Amino acid sequence: MTIRYRKKSAALEGHVSVDDAETLAQWLRKQAVPAVHLGACEQVHGAVLQVLLALRPVVLALPADRLLARALAGLPRS
Amino acid sequence: MNQAELLESFVIEARECLEAIGNGLLEVERRPGDMALLNDLFRYVHTLKGNCGLFDFQPLERVVHAGEDLLDRVRNGTMSYNPALADALLDAMDYAGELIDQIERHGAIAEASGSRAVPLAAALRRLLDPAAAPVAPVPAAPTAPAPAAMAPAAQQDRPAWLDRIPAGLAPDALAVHYVPEPECFFKGEDPWRQACTAPGLLHLDVAAREAWPTGAALDGLDCYRCNLDLVMVCSASRDEVLAHFRCVPEQVELIRLAPPPAPAPGPEALSPALALLRQRTVAIWNDQSALLAQDGLAAGTVLAVVRVLRSLLSLQPGASAAVATLDALEKPAAAEHVLAWARRHGPDGGEQRTGSRTMGEDAQGPVAAAGQEPLQDGAGAAAPAATAGNAADEPAGERHQRVLKVSQDKVDRLMDLIGEMVVAKNSLPYLAQRAEEVHGQRELSREIKGQYAVINRIAEDLQHAIMQVRMMPVGAVFQRFGRLVRDISRKLGKEVHLVIEGEETEADKNVIESLADPLIHVLRNSLDHGIELPEVRRRAGKTVHGTIRIGARQESDRVIIEIADDGAGIDAARVREKAVERGLIPADRASSLSDEEAVHLIFLPGFSTAESVSDLSGRGVGMDVVRTAVERVHGSVQLSSRAGHGTTIRLSLPLSMAVTRVMVVESAGRRLGVPMDLIVETVRVHTSAIHHVKQAQTTVLRGRVVPLLELNGLLSLEEAPLRNDEGELAVLVVRHGGNSVGLVVDHFHGASDIILKPLEGVLAGLTGFAGTALMGDGSVLMVVNPKELLP
Repeated sequence: MTIRYRKKSAALEGHVSVDDAETLAQWLRKQAVPAVHLGACEQVHGAVLQVLLALRPVVLALPADRLLARALAGLPRS
Repeated sequence: MNQAELLESFVIEARECLEAIGNGLLEVERRPGDMALLNDLFRYVHTLKGNCGLFDFQPLERVVHAGEDLLDRVRNGTMSYNPALADALLDAMDYAGELIDQIERHGAIAEASGSRAVPLAAALRRLLDPAAAPVAPVPAAPTAPAPAAMAPAAQQDRPAWLDRIPAGLAPDALAVHYVPEPECFFKGEDPWRQACTAPGLLHLDVAAREAWPTGAALDGLDCYRCNLDLVMVCSASRDEVLAHFRCVPEQVELIRLAPPPAPAPGPEALSPALALLRQRTVAIWNDQSALLAQDGLAAGTVLAVVRVLRSLLSLQPGASAAVATLDALEKPAAAEHVLAWARRHGPDGGEQRTGSRTMGEDAQGPVAAAGQEPLQDGAGAAAPAATAGNAADEPAGERHQRVLKVSQDKVDRLMDLIGEMVVAKNSLPYLAQRAEEVHGQRELSREIKGQYAVINRIAEDLQHAIMQVRMMPVGAVFQRFGRLVRDISRKLGKEVHLVIEGEETEADKNVIESLADPLIHVLRNSLDHGIELPEVRRRAGKTVHGTIRIGARQESDRVIIEIADDGAGIDAARVREKAVERGLIPADRASSLSDEEAVHLIFLPGFSTAESVSDLSGRGVGMDVVRTAVERVHGSVQLSSRAGHGTTIRLSLPLSMAVTRVMVVESAGRRLGVPMDLIVETVRVHTSAIHHVKQAQTTVLRGRVVPLLELNGLLSLEEAPLRNDEGELAVLVVRHGGNSVGLVVDHFHGASDIILKPLEGVLAGLTGFAGTALMGDGSVLMVVNPKELLP
């Protein structure tokens, strides 16, 4: 389980693989104000990254990974 | 195809490439901004390099490869084309030519000459290194025009993605642009991970290849269709980076960043002047677009607009691809096509790229910059772009299939056979005559004649067809002049423009080839003696650069080639003086010549006005050689010169040498042919009209005294010429060195087309005859050469 879908946000944790991209996208689309928590996220697959970039959820916490954090810097923050 | 054949075709193709490269280099020098030219040039070099790779010709490959790298930078706009660079490249290509010669002769490169490759390649590389912003191309061939549209990453324009790199990173790091293909996720690739793990990663920027969908379109987002566009800066070496991306080499683009004055400064770094320039460019661009949108534009206006747009693009370092597509538009371009193009490509050229798929979306992408307002309707514009691209590609593809390379021997053999066929068919009328007269078969005679008409028609068509095969454009010879003029004028310190006109005029291959040497002599003379030094020209009130104009055109069955310069012209007095000094003509005769006649003295063997022998001229073998060579192919030379205004030399050559038209005459019972091009007229002169002056006979024709010579006498035949019943002599008036001479013969037998065979074997040394021809009745016709025959 690398993504935990909570009531108002999805928590991405550890290595988020390519298979999670589709579910994440679907979940984010359903939310009125989609939000993600990346605090425990180490790595995401490119497909997941582009889902985040395209759907622009609110980022509750940036990941520790410097590169990933910078890539997501443009997303709305809480 | 076995190895030998492969090698043979390699040599032929390599020569073609070298020739094209040589011309290309000169063209580019003249029009350095022409990206299409540069691309062509690069493609030829690349082809040559690729061909070398088929064989193990390392020295050749090394030099060509260095040249390719150099040209690639020029093409990318990171290096400017300059004479020093052109010199180095031309030298390299000369060397490559030598190697090709060796390969042709021995099938291999001699060690001695092979070793020269290293310093030459090094010289080329030296030009590379000091360049401020060297570009390292990806190994995947970025040459073919079509893939440029298909593989977005392989585009060669100075990319806007460089703007995404912040200033102040490592000065000479490698910028990497990685655009994964949309299907990459299905191949198990993870572009993001790939980018994160790039060796020596200093900076990573991610963006959307196509803008992310918004609003309702978000629901249609396919999260497994990769839409990432990654820009990295790596401190690792090129090879390491390439190794890292070895699975997707066609999706990455590498550019070495320049030290401080960065090649692509961020928009904020633009100086006010640059910003103003950009603003003006956009304004002009939009004005021109608005002009195009008007109805009923004249073709000239459209052309002018195209030129303006092109010039604007040339201001942009990365606009090569855009320029190429502009050039690819059909000419003359329709206003709406140009408009569509202008809307598609902003004044920054590169922003919209050449790819026709992502046009509209791209405009909103992160790379969009100022001046894109008129660009939004990409969807409608994409279609013409695709068609234009295809149209440009198609002819190239077809040309390869249609051209058949045949050695000249085979064509010559075919022509000989057709010649024999023509002769053989000519015997049919004789056969018909015999059938009727000897055997009394009138019916058969008529049938033979009927068949003859059919065969005659086919034979004539055949002959015509083979002539067409042998025809080649005179441009083939003209091509090499660009180089010659450039080299010589540089050596002499003169500025010379070479203008070539009518290079598509066609003539027989032999005629064309025989022209090369004479024309080179003429050109050298024009350069050396004709065109003055810039200083002299300025004082004379002329333009500083001289112009040499070579023009070719067809006039009935002859090709006229004119070489005109706007130099000093020929000083008739000096020519007279020199001719006398060299003992070529007596002084009294020289002074009696008009200026116009005097300038023709330069055609005398041994004539030279140069005081000293240089490697250009002065050895006294110049114009004499020209005249001899031209006359050998039955051509003629005319010269006109105006002191201070220049000299024009006019060569008139037959279109084809295959069939010669001769006048058949009879003398002392022998039939002889006289080339038609020398004959002025045929007249009958009454004996009483012949004046005897000592041994010589003359007559007056149209108020001019014409010397008469008996053909019998010239051929050492004893018989006296026959007279007809009215006591008249048959006189053939021929041209001989500008004068008319009357040849007294017995009978005229009309004109005939013959295939002239030169005298060979034991007869080769025979003077007075141009050759022999086989007549339809099986007899042999000797064709005299009046030039050799007449004293």
